[in-house]
Amino acid sequence: MNYFVRKLSFYAVALWAALTLNFAIPRMLPGNPVDILLAKLQQRGGTVTPETREAYALLLGGDSSDPLWVQYWDYLKNLARGDLGVSVSYYPTKVSDVILTSLPWTVVLVGIATIIAAVLGVALGAFVGWKPGTWLDTLVPSTTLLAAVPYFWLALILTYLLARVLGWFPMQGGYDVVLTPGWNWEFISSAITYGFLPALTIVLASIAGWLLGMRNMMVSTLSEDYILTAEAKGLTPMKILRSYASRNAVLPSVAGFAISLGFVVSGSVITEQVFSYPGIGGRLLGAVTNNDYALMQGVFLFITLAVLGANLVVDLLYGLIDPRTRARS
Amino acid sequence: MSPTNGIRRRAVGALVGATALGLTLTACTGSGSGGGDASTLVVYTGQAGDYQINFNPFSPSRIGGLGTIYETLFFHNKAQVSDPVPLLGTEQAWNEDGTVLSVTLRDGVKWSDGEDFTAEDVVFTFDMLKETPSINAGGFDGTVEAVDDTHVTFSFEEPTFVKGPDLMNTPIVPEHLWADINPVEDVIEEPIGTGAFTLKEFKPQAYTIEANADYWGDEPKVKEVRFISLSGNQAGADAIAAGTIDWQTGPIPDIQNTNKNFPNYEAFTQWQNQMVLATCSNADLGCTGPQTDPAVRHALYYALDREQLNNLAFMETANEISPAFTLTPSQDQYLTPVVTELSAPERSLADNAKESLESAGWALGDDGIYAKDGERLSLTVEVVTGWTDYITAIDTMASQAKEAGIELVAAQSSWNEWTEKKVSGNFQLAMDSLWQGPAPDPYYLYNYFYSSASGAEVGESAGNNYSRYDNPDVDAAIDELSTLPLDDLAARQEYFEKIQGAIIEDMPYVPVLTGGTTSIWNTAEFSGWPSGEDLYAFPAVWSAFDAAEIFKRLEPQG
Repeated sequence: MNYFVRKLSFYAVALWAALTLNFAIPRMLPGNPVDILLAKLQQRGGTVTPETREAYALLLGGDSSDPLWVQYWDYLKNLARGDLGVSVSYYPTKVSDVILTSLPWTVVLVGIATIIAAVLGVALGAFVGWKPGTWLDTLVPSTTLLAAVPYFWLALILTYLLARVLGWFPMQGGYDVVLTPGWNWEFISSAITYGFLPALTIVLASIAGWLLGMRNMMVSTLSEDYILTAEAKGLTPMKILRSYASRNAVLPSVAGFAISLGFVVSGSVITEQVFSYPGIGGRLLGAVTNNDYALMQGVFLFITLAVLGANLVVDLLYGLIDPRTRARS
Repeated sequence: MSPTNGIRRRAVGALVGATALGLTLTACTGSGSGGGDASTLVVYTGQAGDYQINFNPFSPSRIGGLGTIYETLFFHNKAQVSDPVPLLGTEQAWNEDGTVLSVTLRDGVKWSDGEDFTAEDVVFTFDMLKETPSINAGGFDGTVEAVDDTHVTFSFEEPTFVKGPDLMNTPIVPEHLWADINPVEDVIEEPIGTGAFTLKEFKPQAYTIEANADYWGDEPKVKEVRFISLSGNQAGADAIAAGTIDWQTGPIPDIQNTNKNFPNYEAFTQWQNQMVLATCSNADLGCTGPQTDPAVRHALYYALDREQLNNLAFMETANEISPAFTLTPSQDQYLTPVVTELSAPERSLADNAKESLESAGWALGDDGIYAKDGERLSLTVEVVTGWTDYITAIDTMASQAKEAGIELVAAQSSWNEWTEKKVSGNFQLAMDSLWQGPAPDPYYLYNYFYSSASGAEVGESAGNNYSRYDNPDVDAAIDELSTLPLDDLAARQEYFEKIQGAIIEDMPYVPVLTGGTTSIWNTAEFSGWPSGEDLYAFPAVWSAFDAAEIFKRLEPQG
């Protein structure tokens, strides 16, 4: 029990530190939201007069004259109530609404892509590790090449080939804009078609990490005594691969997988940028360029919570699965 | 129009990537307006990322509806000097001294929910603005009264001719729906207006407006207009290549050959974006550096080779610029005789530049750069990272200025940081552009950028006049102009002369070129776009009132 209490209190401190940083970092950025809002307004053909500036400084509250610690205290109090404030760039929409409309897109796209990449990578890694030194080993350099290519470049090339030249997939967006989002097959199939290409780029770019990790674990597991024992018992190679080697070698990958699920929420800013995909990454980018403190804090908060949560789950699970963890601590 | 420029510039940067990829020419040219049937016009306004519903015409974060759903009293065509186009108003007249404006309203107009539009709606709209300072962007401070159902008067305590266009450009909202809502925080999910279009549906990726069958004018031929969101102008250029959008305002690769590369499309450029090297000009207010000497600013003006600049940095899409900042040629009638050079020199006049410097006591140093009292003539130009055409322009200007003995150094920073430097006065030169007012009249530009009222000391936040120019004569002339009718050119001449003379002599903003705003539109499926012969609106899809006029005139082909 002691183990769990200590873990939980560690996470409480980490959470507080993250929340405090989350408060401080946006306030160090140069510029102010009113100027940026005016510039955006002008971009849509509005005329910006001195009166306009006054009106919008009033609207957005301008610079807060409260001392920092008062702002900090209010921030913590509001957070505790689940109030993330109002977004400046989407005024008067609440930050939580902005985030909740984008979050599902990111979670589904990046989540599914991460699961596919992990499952494929681990499975392939197990086979490659099972027969080290054969032609299968060429999978390692070829997938790491894909991971080493800058992601945006890979994404652009795939878009060019698959969307522009072959025309198999739409180039941009999350779904056909003529359809109404909802639980009907027409919309879901459209979302799948639109999501395929972005998902493919994420899978291609991240599969190498899983494959390489799994392959190396397999190779070292294969030299363990219990594998030798299993062979000596006359078990079939498939049985050894599945029940003895893979099961032990996959442990680190499982931990890695849980953590990478935590990062799903932060999405992929570049993926969403390249494919004009409606997700949280694009919102985060917008919030930073617009000095939208509240929205930035909201997005950061979600990312922080997801990463901390995933880590916590892994830690607790490890405590259960592996008695050695508890004993050592 | 600095921000529009912003998009444009970022796009140029991204286009380099696209060109390198070979995305430009080889691909299919697209066969239809991807939005589906031919009567749907698909446009991209530069919306980056998803839409968040907001059809409140007074909200700074509104996503649309101006002009299309909500109409104004009159439409002012910023592209050329012309009479305002009557919309909800049919006639307007000021009294002699400019304190009372009488407007006749159109009879028989209905809101799209079937209620009648009356003078009370106009009165309600303006009263609401006056009572709600945080949305009173035009600074309306007069009194508005309904004379009868079709006549309203606006009364002011002082002559207010110049505020006329702002009033006429105010969207009118229905009293019967707006009386009970909070005009600041309500996002008006179901907008009701008098315009030629009504909202059909909203989705985060796109919203669609459809023709209003009960419109007081001719029902638009374009039955639906869909506004889509993409990640940026790079995505916009891709969408043009794929034929999925019909109109975007922003560059695409190889823009001169648009029609050859994409036979369905044509590119059209208008010039409204006066690019300048803005200087922190006023040493009295705390500006430091060689650029506080007007002779240095003049030397820069002469040192630039604008033809080369246009060629190297702007893909030949820019145009000449008047040193008096009247738009060339559409506002030439406002040029006064004091302006001897009708447009800034095309080729570099290095001798004039040197003469200007030497007469002010600068002496050429051993390193080929002028110096005065031990201070080298070296200037830092602030520019935003990623605005590649401006960065190229500064590099080009640096080599041109070097021949005249001036050193220019580019300093790149993020947009936020760049804005901060400008506003606080912590800069020497900044590459930027000046924008126009609500009507095609140079008064507005002079008032925005040269009036000391919107300046500030270095360290404090300045408004539009971030150059911190402060000239009592110019201030007085701007004040005088505000008491004169916009169409009384004879009376205004004297003051324009004073302003133009002073701003050319002091030159706080060094004219570079007039940047082009380029629209790519689908001429195979739609006709009636503005052209050089019939420039009935400024052709930019992000300019809401202009775009609304264009939507009304377009006709689907076939």
